[in-house]
Amino acid sequence: MIEKILAAIFFPGAVFLLAVSLLYEWVDRKLYARFQNRVGPHLAGPFGLLQPVADLIKLLSKEDIVPMAADRLLFTLTPILAPALILLACMFLPIAGPSGIISFKGDLIAVIALLSIYTITIYLAGEGSSNRFASIGAVRAALQLIGYEIPLTLSLLSAAIAAGSLSIGGIVEAQAERGIWLIAGPQIIGFAIFVITSQAEMERIPFDIPEAEQEIVAGWEVEYGGRRLALFRLSKDLELILLSGLGAAIFLGGPIGPVIPGLEPVLYTIYFILKSIVVLAIFTLVRALFARLRIDQMVSFSWKYLMSLAVILIILTEVIV
Amino acid sequence: MSFEISIGPQHPIHVEPLMLRLSVEGELIVDVDVDVSYIHRGIEKALEARPYIQGLYLVERICGICNAAHSLCYCLNVEQLLGKEAPPRAKYLRIVVEELSRIHSHLLWLGHYFHTLGFETLFMYFWRDRERIMDMLELITGNRVTTSYNTIGGVRRDLTPEAEQRLRRTLDYIEERMRYYEKVIDSEPTILARTQGVGILKPSDAVRLGVVGPHLRASGVKHDVRLDDPYSGHDEIPFNVITWDTCDCYARVKVRIREVYESVNMIRYALDHMPSGDYRLKIPPFFKAPPGESLSRVEAPRGELVHYSISDGGDRPYRYKVRTPTLANLLSVVEMLRSRDGYEVYIADVPAILGGIDPCICCSARVMVTDEARRRRTIMTLEDIIKISRERGAKRR
Amino acid sequence: MRVPGRLVAEALRSLFKRRATILYPYRELEKIHLPEGFRGRIEFDRAKCIGCQLCFRVCPAKAIEMIEDEKGKRPIFYIYRCIYCAQCAEVCPTKAISMSKVFENIALRKEDLVVR
Repeated sequence: MIEKILAAIFFPGAVFLLAVSLLYEWVDRKLYARFQNRVGPHLAGPFGLLQPVADLIKLLSKEDIVPMAADRLLFTLTPILAPALILLACMFLPIAGPSGIISFKGDLIAVIALLSIYTITIYLAGEGSSNRFASIGAVRAALQLIGYEIPLTLSLLSAAIAAGSLSIGGIVEAQAERGIWLIAGPQIIGFAIFVITSQAEMERIPFDIPEAEQEIVAGWEVEYGGRRLALFRLSKDLELILLSGLGAAIFLGGPIGPVIPGLEPVLYTIYFILKSIVVLAIFTLVRALFARLRIDQMVSFSWKYLMSLAVILIILTEVIV
Repeated sequence: MSFEISIGPQHPIHVEPLMLRLSVEGELIVDVDVDVSYIHRGIEKALEARPYIQGLYLVERICGICNAAHSLCYCLNVEQLLGKEAPPRAKYLRIVVEELSRIHSHLLWLGHYFHTLGFETLFMYFWRDRERIMDMLELITGNRVTTSYNTIGGVRRDLTPEAEQRLRRTLDYIEERMRYYEKVIDSEPTILARTQGVGILKPSDAVRLGVVGPHLRASGVKHDVRLDDPYSGHDEIPFNVITWDTCDCYARVKVRIREVYESVNMIRYALDHMPSGDYRLKIPPFFKAPPGESLSRVEAPRGELVHYSISDGGDRPYRYKVRTPTLANLLSVVEMLRSRDGYEVYIADVPAILGGIDPCICCSARVMVTDEARRRRTIMTLEDIIKISRERGAKRR
Repeated sequence: MRVPGRLVAEALRSLFKRRATILYPYRELEKIHLPEGFRGRIEFDRAKCIGCQLCFRVCPAKAIEMIEDEKGKRPIFYIYRCIYCAQCAEVCPTKAISMSKVFENIALRKEDLVVR
């Protein structure tokens, strides 16, 4: 019991996840810059590794302004709720072993539900700031949820059907038993759908419609500054871990790899981080390749193409498995 | 139920302040109001207090990107007042720098436009290639942005053979890159979804609203000052006027990309057929212009630029008037942003449409009369201005 | 059906290409190549000046002031007002004024930005 609590706080829990989230933000920014023939962060720390830390410290040191007409409860609660939800979802990820700190049958559904609650939190965050741009951004976020949620769920569920288990730990163990990753097979379609819908979940280009900088200034996070904005940015970085980790665990076999007995937690963690950085690199590549869609185009694209692809995938999975 | 949001005066897509008040219902825009009066610098008044040679440098700084066009228009204007014409070599050199600045402006606009659409990778690529053009401008004129190349009676320096060699290599590079970018833009579904069918401006509306430049040519109307009123040897250099028929934002992107090819060809032709001789007339720095008035037009990268001046025989202009192309194009934004039956405009289209006219708001200003004593503020309408200018003109004669 | 993401080949190639950024000013100062004829800070040769005051009359930014010294009238240049148009260099009959390649014209005191 004590070990579980210590694991949840330190490794592979909150402290470890916060540090790795800053590392992932660095990887994302540096890769994005290299795709564009630029340098990326290079001044803070060796190779700019400390740049996300510097940005976080800067945000934490700024003045905290609450608009007079804003809803105090929502304005205070949502910046705390957002990273908390994602941290809770990250506890299900199998980082230091075949199953996460919390693991039960059906925890895949729990993670998907937590992601949806996160988007609803964003909607409340936007509506709670008394700003028209924020309202427009919040409504766009909710509309986007309607677009991507079902294909995301279907792609993860088809992987669960193929592996025969509804818990993330169970899917990882099924891949370990079979000796091949789930992505080698019809689940590669599922992986493609997962990548596209994760971009929509994380609100990155081509789906960063709720916070389109060039249209509605910062969308739903326009009124948040200082500490509250730091917490939202932290939740975005944690989401990077969550979704790339989920992709690595479900489609790429998670932390499974050749091990030396005795050093298992360390090696498992290294494999997990390497595989999820690969998934993160794919996310960044997608971010660099497209323009931003309009919200009506996004929803219609999602329901026309992603849904049909997801349905075909489920049928294929049922037929082949 | 509609509410009002305002894009501006400060907004990430505006490089200069501009107020666009939109009435929206959800994402749909139902009404628009434009206000331009945020950046009035008093340049026309300042020109009345400076001799012609000093006014040249002030006019150049009306707009950073179109500085070659403004200084060229000024020089043509003053040369017309003096009754002189630049020598043939100067005309061709002026064309070289003017077309280089047109390529620079279009590359800048393309990068900025895709940035507003969210496509940051193309933004960085376009601006990286723009750096090559700025290096060329620096080599030929001495500075990257404010080129200060034209002077009254010609150009200020000559083109060396080494500069010509480097210029040709850069032009080859730019042409190859632009062909690649055109292929990417034509085949990328996200870009096409954001620009095709967005911001429709019918040709009849365009002509009625007085739209100029690539914005007009993207609605299918073939009008170009270089063709209709050649001002610096343009009748000797063959070029095509690019038009496109779909009248939407995609057309504006295509017209500007193709104009880059035309500019590259024009520079190559000018370099191949460069006449020899003097590159400037010997005009003393301080002179008195004979009384009269003169009008000069130039095809700036954004459209038709008009300078009008009245001289009363002194060494500085009596009145100098600048009509920039963006002022003419702004009215069309209001027209394009209104949703009508069958044509819907969303908030997400505002950057695409506003960016499509290539706005350079620092060039435009509105006449606003502020009456401190009576604490009233009136904005003059077109009829008022026509009436007042006729009365003042009659009085002066 | 158009295939999206045509830029992917270019994006992946950019990973291995040399970066387009010059890391000025902390490193790589030597990569800044200025061409001949670059209009930078003004340089003045007192020996050639004849005190004709043409530069003072022609400057658009009023950055030149005429003072007296033992040889006669001569200009001093306020770099903080200069717009680097090089009109003074062009109009000087003895070519006493020239534009150097110095473009970092910032100082902590105004006196450092006056060329005598």
